[in-house]
Amino acid sequence: MLVILPENNREAAVTSNNSSRRLNRRTLLQAGAVTLGAAAFPMPVIAQTKPFAGVTLRGASFQHRFFTLLQNYIPEFEAQTGMKVDLQLSALPVYNQQANLELSSGGSAFDFCNVTFTLASRWVAAGLLTNLDEFTSDPNLTPSDWNPKDFIDGAQVPYRDAKGATYGYSWEGGAMVMGISRMDLMEKKGLKIPKTFAELQNVVAEINGTDGVSGIVSWLLHNWCLPPYIQGFGGNIFRNPPGDVMPVLNSPEAIQGVEYYATLLKSAPRGVLTYTEDQARQAMLTGRANIFNHSISWVAPMLLSNESKVKETARVVRMPAGPARDCPAANSQGLGIPRNAKNKKAAWEFIKWAVGPDISMRLVKEHGHSSICRRSVVESETYRQINMVNGQDLGALYLEVLGLPAKGDNYMAYRTAKEFPIVGDVLNKAFEQVATGQLAAAPAMNAAQEQAIANMRRAGTNL
Amino acid sequence: MSGNGLADAARRRFNILALTPSLIVLFAIAGLPAIYLVVTSLTPFQLINPGSSTDFSSPMRNYSLLPGDPRFVNSLWVQAKLSFWGVLFQVLLGMGLALLLHTQSRIVEFARTFFLIPMVLPPIVVAVIWKLIYTPDISPLYYAASLLNITMPSLTSSVDFALTAIIIADTWEWMPFTFLMVLAALQTIPDEFSEAALVDGASRLQIFYYVTLPFITPVLIISGMFRLIDSVKAFPLIFLLTSGGPGSVTEVTNYYAYLLAFDFNEIGYSSSVTVVLLLLVVAVSFGVVWMGRRREVMS
Repeated sequence: MLVILPENNREAAVTSNNSSRRLNRRTLLQAGAVTLGAAAFPMPVIAQTKPFAGVTLRGASFQHRFFTLLQNYIPEFEAQTGMKVDLQLSALPVYNQQANLELSSGGSAFDFCNVTFTLASRWVAAGLLTNLDEFTSDPNLTPSDWNPKDFIDGAQVPYRDAKGATYGYSWEGGAMVMGISRMDLMEKKGLKIPKTFAELQNVVAEINGTDGVSGIVSWLLHNWCLPPYIQGFGGNIFRNPPGDVMPVLNSPEAIQGVEYYATLLKSAPRGVLTYTEDQARQAMLTGRANIFNHSISWVAPMLLSNESKVKETARVVRMPAGPARDCPAANSQGLGIPRNAKNKKAAWEFIKWAVGPDISMRLVKEHGHSSICRRSVVESETYRQINMVNGQDLGALYLEVLGLPAKGDNYMAYRTAKEFPIVGDVLNKAFEQVATGQLAAAPAMNAAQEQAIANMRRAGTNL
Repeated sequence: MSGNGLADAARRRFNILALTPSLIVLFAIAGLPAIYLVVTSLTPFQLINPGSSTDFSSPMRNYSLLPGDPRFVNSLWVQAKLSFWGVLFQVLLGMGLALLLHTQSRIVEFARTFFLIPMVLPPIVVAVIWKLIYTPDISPLYYAASLLNITMPSLTSSVDFALTAIIIADTWEWMPFTFLMVLAALQTIPDEFSEAALVDGASRLQIFYYVTLPFITPVLIISGMFRLIDSVKAFPLIFLLTSGGPGSVTEVTNYYAYLLAFDFNEIGYSSSVTVVLLLLVVAVSFGVVWMGRRREVMS
């Protein structure tokens, strides 16, 4: 019970205490009262020292290993800041729908959200996100050692507007590399690691059927797997994205890319057109397929996973270059703040923490999670040691590929154009028609071009 | 006004009063979303452009675009094929199974229950089961074929078999519905008819054709109609097994509407596709009601 002593009595007690330096009944009562008071109401006193005490921060993203791991650390963040983090995770398509609706309707349900790679351009262009430069340029909000320039440039490209303002910071990078599961078979046949499209075609054809191994495997998102080949031959999806989004699906180079990729998949397992990423990865881990060109996080498990039966014979290398260009796919996912978020400063505090160098390094060290986008971490000795497998420096490979779009023209810009989902779907259909022999490449891509233009016009794009 | 007239009026008022809460709930649940769907179909609504949800400047634009959209037209054709073959097999196999199991035995009773399982499974579970069966790497079907040195194509990614694969899975799931309906109808047929036909020297086939079939025909038609209406909801199978592919071989109308709304953000256009689909289903529903009334009149 808290006992409040009359003022004169307290003064008298203090005087008496000071003068005699002895414990008496009154000082004991006072000390007891203070102790009891502190014991009864400890939280508010402590919380008052925390900048975001009482704030509930609401965020949303899609389910990903990064967030599963991050949730282990969130209690630390909550303890540091005093805020409570309510992180809502959904499947990617569900999240994209929710976020699209939430952002476009100017809602304030989320304080922070994932800026999905394929939607980034439209969200940034439509002004649905907060300019994060306001936070990074304020030394009171962002310490200098946080360093926004430490993010791998290629991973940051989608989150910038035309003027260079930043609307998101990347937490995940995807870099397309080539996984080879049965280097032993290739060596037996005198085949080297392919570095060109022609060599790749040769290796795939030579290995296919040997020891029951398929020459190559892929998965059903053709509009992710196919464009590097189209671009490798010198083509593209749009004429000059993101400014000029006229589709160029029936260019000779695009047709060549489609024919080439369809030919490659003739050496793939049955049903490859409907393979999921997991199925393709499993085919590699078990050595049933020899080559898989996909993001490093799907290919590297051949070397790192306990499930892998091909650890000794696997290689992870650069995807072959095309005769015209070298365009391995790269992407990233970012965290941003909706335009109408209620707790912007608190949201920035969270983003700053979640993609900060400390958490990034801990994710690498404690969980081997390597697809982070902090250059200083990826280039660190710790990262290199963890990601050096069988003499293969996965970190360097990741960094190199992820950085490519930022060098020269951003060849991944096609994917961030807001019209891409429409054209990408048409491309998927056209490729399947070619791969299943329904149509030859040229008529399929001519029809795709017409269909893409019609669909874009229907959706309100001025071409 | 006579006393009877007053009583009738009071009864009518009471009936209306008693029905009103149900009608309000029904309107809120079914009416309002349908109205919203129709209203949205008159706009170029896209999620990324919120103002477009109230743009009625060209209300018939979406509908005028539909006939020229090859994917929409194709999706109707695919839907028609899926519905026709799916319903046909479900009715024929369901009827066959019901005739086989229309007998008194403990084993048969167990078998009846067993055959109902696919129908009560959640649709996504059915889709997963068939995904396992159709995936060459892990499928027991493909394993058995390989033991017999038979090389089977991948059914779900083959132009020739993808739709058939969906029809097989859909038939497996819904054949028990027809089976159950026909079995119930068979149990209402008095034995005397068959016995009299037997005495007259009719064969089993003749008994089926002249005695059994006339009895169960109305049930076959009604269950077929119900399945026809329901066949437009084959979404989970298509979503999980083929994603509408290869190309557009298995892209039915509701899957196309889903892509338009949730992949391309064309909510307005997707709504117009859905409205057309809704009208088709309503037309079939009226057909069912009409047939039911005709049957009553005839009987």
